[in-house]
Amino acid sequence: MAGTGMPLLDISGLSVEFRGGSRTARVLNDVALTVAANETLGIVGESGCGKSMTALAILRLVPSPPGRITGGRIVFEGEDLLQASEQRLRDVRGHRIGMIFQEPMTSLNPVLTIGDQLSETLVKHLKLDARAARGRSIELLRAVGIPAPERRVDEYPHQLSGGMRQRVMIAMAIGCEPQLLIADEPTTALDVTVQAQIFELLRELRDRRGMGLILITHDMGVIAEMTDRVAVMYGGRVVEEAATAEILSAPAHPYTRGLIACVPDLDAEEAPGADLVEIAGMVPSVWDLPRGCPFADRCAEAMPRCVAEMPPTTVMTAGHSVACWLHQGVPS
Amino acid sequence: MSAPLVSVRNLRIHFARPHFNPLKPRETVRAVDGVSFDVGRGTTLGIVGESGSGKTTVARGLLRLVPVTSGHVVLGGTDITALGAEAMRHMRRHMQYVFQDPYSSLNPRVRAGAIVRSPLDVLGIGTPAEREARVAELFAAVGLRPESQHLFPHQFSGGQRQRINIARALAPAPDLLVCDEPVSALDVAIRAQILNLLQQLKRRLGITYLFISHDMAVVKHVADEVAVMYLGQIVERAPRMAFFARPLHPYSVALMSAVPTVRGGRERAANRIRLTGDPPSPINPPPGCRFAARCPAAEPACRQSMPELRELVPGQWVRCHRVEVVGEAIRRPLG
Repeated sequence: MAGTGMPLLDISGLSVEFRGGSRTARVLNDVALTVAANETLGIVGESGCGKSMTALAILRLVPSPPGRITGGRIVFEGEDLLQASEQRLRDVRGHRIGMIFQEPMTSLNPVLTIGDQLSETLVKHLKLDARAARGRSIELLRAVGIPAPERRVDEYPHQLSGGMRQRVMIAMAIGCEPQLLIADEPTTALDVTVQAQIFELLRELRDRRGMGLILITHDMGVIAEMTDRVAVMYGGRVVEEAATAEILSAPAHPYTRGLIACVPDLDAEEAPGADLVEIAGMVPSVWDLPRGCPFADRCAEAMPRCVAEMPPTTVMTAGHSVACWLHQGVPS
Repeated sequence: MSAPLVSVRNLRIHFARPHFNPLKPRETVRAVDGVSFDVGRGTTLGIVGESGSGKTTVARGLLRLVPVTSGHVVLGGTDITALGAEAMRHMRRHMQYVFQDPYSSLNPRVRAGAIVRSPLDVLGIGTPAEREARVAELFAAVGLRPESQHLFPHQFSGGQRQRINIARALAPAPDLLVCDEPVSALDVAIRAQILNLLQQLKRRLGITYLFISHDMAVVKHVADEVAVMYLGQIVERAPRMAFFARPLHPYSVALMSAVPTVRGGRERAANRIRLTGDPPSPINPPPGCRFAARCPAAEPACRQSMPELRELVPGQWVRCHRVEVVGEAIRRPLG
């Protein structure tokens, strides 16, 4: 954590709603997160739990309509982005805050060369001329480990493999040396050996430039390897947050415990054919969230109170908070 | 191992690239280039490898869903590469396929019950009444509610759709189930449900699986034997315990070290074997070992001649010049 006292990004009370006809979906509910410089925050959870929506909301990219940010503050470097003008936001997006989207196959423009797409942000934000932007693009491609960048810069996305396209996306996101990088499942579509290269690059960028990093993933192994702190999301809420080592060794929320246990583990010394721990059922629809804890119907430890009432977020120990009735009344 | 259910010998599947210049020789993609393995009855062979390694093409070749260039696939004593179209159609009763994507592999306009019944209709198995009874039995076996037979695919979640896929594959009571990345399109928590279902079916019905996956941990969980593919070839084949305790081929070692684990954390990342570059093109693969250009342990000899797949100790095969047997011990170049 940085010693300045003020986090790089401070989100509090963030709520997002989607309207469809007469119905309202509460996609994010009172989300609070912080990221310091040189820190990596992991966000885990299943699809539909609000991970990607949180990332989009930070850059105010929630599709509107039907979506709407209904409340909260997103303070980045002391400025509330929810109050900022569109013009100011254009300067923040891709410049101060970089974003790596999930789909490397569809996030690049097929009719522009790699160089054109990389240069665009450099010309816009760093006011480079075309020649300097091209030179910088080649440098960036080299930095993300693309062989023969002088040749690749003039190629089109379809000439590159999936791994290389994702590396181009990363080059684009870090082109203006952002203070904060949001990476939404940056390696999901990639092979593990390429994933290892990309994580090494992200670690190096964070350590060298003191960049803050938000890493969205569903892989607990990635969390263990890359992050300092973790927020577990479920049903549009942060249900548990703690330092990575703490959450992996002493997960408090039943959902967090399930997420860690349900994945086959390469290190496990299990007997062949043993069953995995299952989390029964599935994620509730955002259009139909229950009144109480959203995890109650899948939770083996649910009590009557869980169905009736949403548990508040309580601090268990310093830096470890959880929203679960099982942990109410635990002295802090 | 008792007599194997499936024997694959020297399987080659090559594709001619479309060409536009009549003066240039036609290029050939060697997607699968000399693959041999056996799968024992009631066991699971897991094939791991990265994209482009040819693992899906092997699976498709086994069912002759792609034309086989050369080699033999023997299922229960019958060489299916020699069968005519009609005989092959009936052979498919014994071998079925579970596809990766539960969304695109179900016809959106057909009800779930009819989807599961379709192999019985196509292959002419049983009377209509028997087929209905079989469908009901299959729905129960894969954990779907009987009344959901009347629903359409879009009314199911991803995990439930994969259950429909599995039920359809099980309908003609096959001996062999080829599962091509059956859980990679599913959410983490749902994966455990489907993996457990596949294991239960194996215990109950004695099904033999060919299980294709890029996920080492999943393969470790389900497989009895493991084969690692790289650029159209098997580079290592071994029983599960031996393989995961000590992989021999440098590629297997690197692949395993690339997987992030909860217990390994940062230390694992720091000690990782770094692979650079991308696999070479399967159009004109280099003459020597196909992994040589990226292998941290490669020597000049590795680039000259292709290593053979050797059986070092019974059941453990490796395709590497640098793995040696010294007395009782196996010396591996990496790890």
